[in-house]
Amino acid sequence: MEIFPALLSVLTDPTLLFAIVLAAAVGMIVGATPGLTASAAIAMLLPITFYMPPLFALAFLYVIGKSGRYGGSIAAILFNTPGTAASAATQIDGYPLARSGKAGKAMKVATISSIIGDLMGDILLVVGVGFIAAIALKLGPPETFAIYFAAFVVIGSVIGKSIVKGLASALLGILIAMVGLDPISSEERYTFGSFDLSNGVGLVPLMIGVFVLGEVFAQMEERRKAKGDIEENESSESGNSLSWEEYKPCLPHAFRGGFIGAGIGVLPGLGSAIAAFISYGEGKRRAKNPEKWGKGALEGVAAPEAANNAVSGPSMAPLLTLGIPGSTIGAILLGVFLIHGIQVGPTLFLTDKELVYQLFACGMLGIIAYGVIGYFGATQVARLILKIPTNVLYPMIFLTAFVAAYSARGSMFDVTVMTVAGFGGWLMRKYDFNIAACVISFVLAKGAEETFRQSLLMSESGPLVFVERPIALAFLILGLAAMAFRIRGILKERRIAQGGLGDA
Amino acid sequence: MKRRTFVSAAVAAIAVTVSTTASMAADWPKRPINLVVPYKAGGGTDAYARAISAAAEGILDVPVVVVNKPGSGGLNGANSVVGARPDGYTMMMTSGGSFLLSTMTRDTEIDALESFQFVAQVGQLQTSLMVPKNSPFQSVQDVIDAAKANPGSLRWAHSGRGGFHHVGGLGFLANNGIEAQDVPFKGGGPTRAALIGSQADFGFLGVQQLAGFEEQLRALAVNSQDRDGIMKNVPSFGELGIPFAAVSSPVIVFAPKDTPADVVAAMEAALAQIAEKPEFAELLASRGTGPVYQNGADAKATLTSMKADATPLVESLTN
Repeated sequence: MEIFPALLSVLTDPTLLFAIVLAAAVGMIVGATPGLTASAAIAMLLPITFYMPPLFALAFLYVIGKSGRYGGSIAAILFNTPGTAASAATQIDGYPLARSGKAGKAMKVATISSIIGDLMGDILLVVGVGFIAAIALKLGPPETFAIYFAAFVVIGSVIGKSIVKGLASALLGILIAMVGLDPISSEERYTFGSFDLSNGVGLVPLMIGVFVLGEVFAQMEERRKAKGDIEENESSESGNSLSWEEYKPCLPHAFRGGFIGAGIGVLPGLGSAIAAFISYGEGKRRAKNPEKWGKGALEGVAAPEAANNAVSGPSMAPLLTLGIPGSTIGAILLGVFLIHGIQVGPTLFLTDKELVYQLFACGMLGIIAYGVIGYFGATQVARLILKIPTNVLYPMIFLTAFVAAYSARGSMFDVTVMTVAGFGGWLMRKYDFNIAACVISFVLAKGAEETFRQSLLMSESGPLVFVERPIALAFLILGLAAMAFRIRGILKERRIAQGGLGDA
Repeated sequence: MKRRTFVSAAVAAIAVTVSTTASMAADWPKRPINLVVPYKAGGGTDAYARAISAAAEGILDVPVVVVNKPGSGGLNGANSVVGARPDGYTMMMTSGGSFLLSTMTRDTEIDALESFQFVAQVGQLQTSLMVPKNSPFQSVQDVIDAAKANPGSLRWAHSGRGGFHHVGGLGFLANNGIEAQDVPFKGGGPTRAALIGSQADFGFLGVQQLAGFEEQLRALAVNSQDRDGIMKNVPSFGELGIPFAAVSSPVIVFAPKDTPADVVAAMEAALAQIAEKPEFAELLASRGTGPVYQNGADAKATLTSMKADATPLVESLTN
């Protein structure tokens, strides 16, 4: 239990505590500002940390990463703009809540759920860092593909009224994911000779396009029809406070999200966005009130927020012991270790054990710091933002969408991608196609394709490789079983309520 | 006293003349220098750039700012520098071997040898043949024998087709007349993890990737004539008498084509000084890499001869 002396040594160091609180605040602000991401902030602050002691530098950047991930939910709820890729799932319910004047409530749920998820992830990391690394090594391409396969089932729970349109949307997502370099042969495909397209379509511009710009276009159309008779965002006292009674139903979703996120964090490369969507899908499937999900259910904020924050902790295990970064932030942290002359690898826990546990302790204190700032500060921010009338807010959102798409990679081409995706998102809304299914399959398709083809190259028995390896087989069966249950559920619903498929 | 004034006046006069003839170099650098790295932060080339940036203090009067422009196998960043203003404030540091190979295999107008000026080489990344610790292969000959006994049964991992690790591996296979199925992974870290987890029989990955993983992996040989300057315990193909293709990746700083010659020369001199600084070597040592300096002309010659070595392998790739 090396964590306790580490916690104590961090708590008795006032400058370090100050750095943690500062990092928590910086992370929240950059996460909440559309166009700034925690990874961009870390990259910018990296040179400064060269002159700090290693623990100071690592703790500062690590906490920014953590609180930035949480800060993304603020932008998702208030502006419908995913501050980070991981918060796209949060906006599905978070933004409708904000529009009905419950922004403060939604943000408090997001804060509590983030803390729960993040702490669960960190506890798992502290307790089982060696074990996690061992698992990550056992999972080769066939196992990873089986996990992707099981994750695809999630699409079923967000698929919406029309199964045909839902599947078409998912296929569209897969098709977009195919653009760029072939993951195995490194040859260009679907690039039509365009150099920019050879890099593939970025997740951030795509999401900002379909979610934000698409929404703005849809709203503009509504307004024209309604001749300006659209309700303004009103914020009331009751919309900002959160009672225990209200949070209680969120609790199981937060804990489930925490487990899903922590599990996904163990697997290098899957990432927070996938964790958030899986948790959202699973949550909706098990919810008592699935009809409210997507229209402003507090549980729909709790599930993805807990999951995307829970990824942070366990993803440090493959990073520290195997040198595999699970995210951009992970890659930068890896650089910081090396710049300070600390060799990342299986020997890290022998050579720099104290430092590593102190870093974990800083991470936990960082969670508490952003939790406190978020819980009491976010409501104030929400109140301020919602005072802005929609006819001012929408142009602002419109503008930030452009800034956000450009600044993620400093690429004008991404702005084009976002604009095209925006029109696509608007058309998909108009004709009832399913945007969530499209984005989820986009996120999953790349990894699934890569691992599937790697498995076949590795295998001497063709596709049988998935059956021969027990872990892979287990996940395939899990996926198929979930699918079978889902079909049975739909058939039952259909029998009960003739006509509609009910579940949205 | 009088004499002294005269001398100092003369020195000043000479200094003025020198500075007017070399006005561009004397003016440079006035602003921070942007060093574009066409890969993500945290990678091998990025580590070199960060170390340059840290060690440049005291040698260059302005900061060296590392700008990561990843994408398209390093061509994204190269594209942004090839069209940059040639004023000496935008340069690129890239992994020369990977850059050369991607210009050969991909549809691009950039020519690694012609589109830029070579400023200097500051480091070297070399690929090597590694196996998991529990592998039955104790030597390179074991791998060759196993592949010959059962052609096509072995699987080997590398960090992406068309990269210098892949081409180096292909060169090893072709020169020894053996066949094995390749399994590409995305980048060095995942390749190493896959090899540790015995997902493949052997792999070609950077020799520096062994640092800290000596208990998990066994490096059988480094892909060069002589041993690596830092990972000295790993034998080389050259000393083992095993034929190979001389593909490596010198870490080179490039400047846009029309950058004034005196600015390039000034940067070259600065890089030579930086490469000699002990701090620079220290920053790189934990990564298993170190400084390997060559001036611009020599770096260009190295890359030119590598192109000749790689051409047949690349042709076998693209057909």
